[in-house]
Amino acid sequence: MALSLTVNGEQRSLDIEGDTPLLWVLRDELGLKGTKFGCGVGLCGACTVHLNGQPVRSCSTSVESVAGGDVTTIEGLANGDQLHALQEAWIAEGVPQCGYCQSGQIMSAAHLLANNPAPARDEIVAAMTGNLCRCGTYSRIIAAVESVARSSSMEGSLAYDAAVVGEAN
Amino acid sequence: MAMNRRDFLKVSAGTSGSLMLSLSLPGCSGMPTGYVQETGEWKPDAWLEITTNDEIHFTLARVEMGQGTYTGLTTLIAEELEVDPEAITPRFAPVAPEYRNPLYKLQLTGGSTSISTSWEPLRTAGASARHMLILAAARVWQVDAAECSARQGRVVHPNGLDSMRYGQLVELAPKEVIRGDIALKPASEWKYIGKQRRRLDARAKSTGTAVYGIDVELPGMVYGVVSRSPRYGARAKAFNESELRAMPGVLDVFEIERGVAIVADKYWRARKAQDALKAEWDNADALSLSTDEVFASYRKAADEDRGESERSEGDYDAAVGRAGKVFEAEYSQPYLAHSTMEPMNATAWYRDDSIEVWAPTQAPDLGRIAAARVTDLSPDDVTINTTFLGGGFGRRLTQDYIEEAAAVAYRVKKPVKVIWSREEDTQHDLYRPAMLHRMQAGLDGSQLTGWHHQIVGPQLLDWYVRNAAPAQYPWAPKFMYDTLGKVGLLAEGIATPRDMSAIEGAIEYPYNVDNIDIRHTHTDPGVPVTFWRSVGYSHNGFAVETFMDELAHETGEDPYQFRRKLLAGQPRYLEVLDRAVRLAGWDTPVAEGRGRGIALFKSFGTFVAQVVEAGLENGVIKVYKVACAVDCGQVVNPRIVEDQIEGGIIFGLTAALYGEITFEGGQVQQSNFHDYQLMRQYELPEVTVDIVPSTEAPTGVGEPGVPPVIPALGNALFALTGKRQRSLPLKADG
Repeated sequence: MALSLTVNGEQRSLDIEGDTPLLWVLRDELGLKGTKFGCGVGLCGACTVHLNGQPVRSCSTSVESVAGGDVTTIEGLANGDQLHALQEAWIAEGVPQCGYCQSGQIMSAAHLLANNPAPARDEIVAAMTGNLCRCGTYSRIIAAVESVARSSSMEGSLAYDAAVVGEAN
Repeated sequence: MAMNRRDFLKVSAGTSGSLMLSLSLPGCSGMPTGYVQETGEWKPDAWLEITTNDEIHFTLARVEMGQGTYTGLTTLIAEELEVDPEAITPRFAPVAPEYRNPLYKLQLTGGSTSISTSWEPLRTAGASARHMLILAAARVWQVDAAECSARQGRVVHPNGLDSMRYGQLVELAPKEVIRGDIALKPASEWKYIGKQRRRLDARAKSTGTAVYGIDVELPGMVYGVVSRSPRYGARAKAFNESELRAMPGVLDVFEIERGVAIVADKYWRARKAQDALKAEWDNADALSLSTDEVFASYRKAADEDRGESERSEGDYDAAVGRAGKVFEAEYSQPYLAHSTMEPMNATAWYRDDSIEVWAPTQAPDLGRIAAARVTDLSPDDVTINTTFLGGGFGRRLTQDYIEEAAAVAYRVKKPVKVIWSREEDTQHDLYRPAMLHRMQAGLDGSQLTGWHHQIVGPQLLDWYVRNAAPAQYPWAPKFMYDTLGKVGLLAEGIATPRDMSAIEGAIEYPYNVDNIDIRHTHTDPGVPVTFWRSVGYSHNGFAVETFMDELAHETGEDPYQFRRKLLAGQPRYLEVLDRAVRLAGWDTPVAEGRGRGIALFKSFGTFVAQVVEAGLENGVIKVYKVACAVDCGQVVNPRIVEDQIEGGIIFGLTAALYGEITFEGGQVQQSNFHDYQLMRQYELPEVTVDIVPSTEAPTGVGEPGVPPVIPALGNALFALTGKRQRSLPLKADG
């Protein structure tokens, strides 16, 4: 089927079987490899992207169900050369080990902070519990999110977050 | 490590004005090392390349799977080269004998050996390059080289003002000859070792730009999936090939040794065709057992055969015969899956009588053998490109996924990426073996007079040697592969090292007991098994440190003091034990509804003690705190050490709380993260890692965090409930 969607601000038109998961469309049709395949059934969160400002598991979201939607992936999180404050925090905290789950972790955290710029620790834990990490980087993830929540460095990402929140509302 | 650095340094001008410095490790007996005049071949173990533009490339011979080689090994060479580690661009090594791990004589990353085996050679390589650059600059300036220094990628003139970039010197430096040994920098002058905290791969991994195996993209690439027999070892008898061929996008459907392959233009179309696959399997040679039968077979084997003696001291039988009390316990552990976040995958392209493979592999030279096996090619015709690994944990030491991709590519003659689903990854893993342990001890009052440990289960090399032995002899003709595999088994120590996988950690029993009898009853039920983050240490750690806890309670002693008094003369064990106890506040009362447990275990040369504080909440086990002290010798990157130890703790807790693969009629019963659970963010305990300052040679940290946490948690639950759990995973109502 022919459909179109907006990905990282760009209108993309596709001719694809409608039941194809968004994940494989992003990765194989649009070349956005930053979003990862982990479990295929929404249990691990490695494939997390934002759809109209909400985090979704792209591995178990059919592309036809998101036609016309606005998708943001890890590649669309930075503002040009300026990384999202969470990406900077991930680097400063040295969060990634194998790194495979981290795109999904960052997308979950970005959604949290876009809606709740100063979350309490238990709010961070709750928001991040759907994302598995086999390497066990959980405490660094909390530290990185907390460092962004504390600092004013969110200003650099306000444009993106305002857009996300705007769409979510 | 004693070595004469002149013996293995070979220098020559590389092409295009770059300085290539290579080194070869000693200890590769049976293999020529260094530069071979006759063939013009180099035998380096690692190399640097510095360009006229000051680019510094470092070939990384140990893969990056999260454990931090990308940063740690680069830091070693950067320290002596006098450049910032961030100024160096690491790249993954191709397959070459020079990149073999000297401990295994294979090009593999495992056993927590990357830092320990690179510590001397990489620093020496960096120091030698620096020294030659200094000699070259001194010759240009006509000054005494000893008066020059190197700093941030430049050689500085004795006047302290003038300097030359390394890039300006790379054409001159190769002409210099190093005379005498090169002194490595004293620890007091280190700028990065012990201080470096950043990870060099953090940016790529935080922006989605790091390339894992699954991200490889080739022109005209197609996608393959493989349906393997639900029961290990069966072959497809018949399948609805023509029906599948008619499905959208399907390009080919055929049988390979490991199952039925379906190739399509898109991954999702291959999966949909797979959903429609109806295959009949010939189960004549297939696995048919259930988990209960595995343990029954272990008990039978243990009854019939006390096993080969692996360590014997004093006279155990006599000691136990006169002991006031004989205490016994039997422990068991289940099969465990690896569950790397990146499922198994590999991409292969067969063309022009050669095959190129892109894969996240821990052992690229074994990958070459795997690809050669299923094609008419020799290993020399196989190129392996290693990517970042989305987790390894030992799973990617076995090359079955490369074998599949190569077999599919050989048939379709197009670039093809074979991706496993999570269900396939869980059900067609090679598992951490299920094991049985029979323990017995003689007690005279509170005195432990005898220690008996009978380990029952398989050895991993029985499974691993199939590709490992040929990889050690890549020039051997292919018809010899299976023979080599068998010879490797029979001739331990020649083709393969002695198989320690079942007994590691048990035979290093550290406590001062006069009479010790440690045995292994070798029995293999036929379930595929392989290495798994700390393998033998993981199951032996549980048996040894739980039994020690039982003995402490049996004698009425504090479990910490009971261990402590048996460790006289072992300062590194005592230090981590004392530190963990202090960190945990062992002597302070524990909160209501909680218990504390302790365990101490050395693995891969690293001493680790842990105290776990746990309780039961709403019918589930809750881990509140883990206090951990670790002595891994000299630390290269303190943050990575903390992260590896903490990651190991979470890996171990995941096994202790959830880990269990079971078989029914030869089929694995678990499939995805709902029934093979991993610890999640909300379960994270407060983990504190205390690193013992040390100037000893560095040892590994990737695995040693795992073994002690499993018995420490079990011991904490015993302290709380008074009920001893002797099998894993632990149960809230156990």
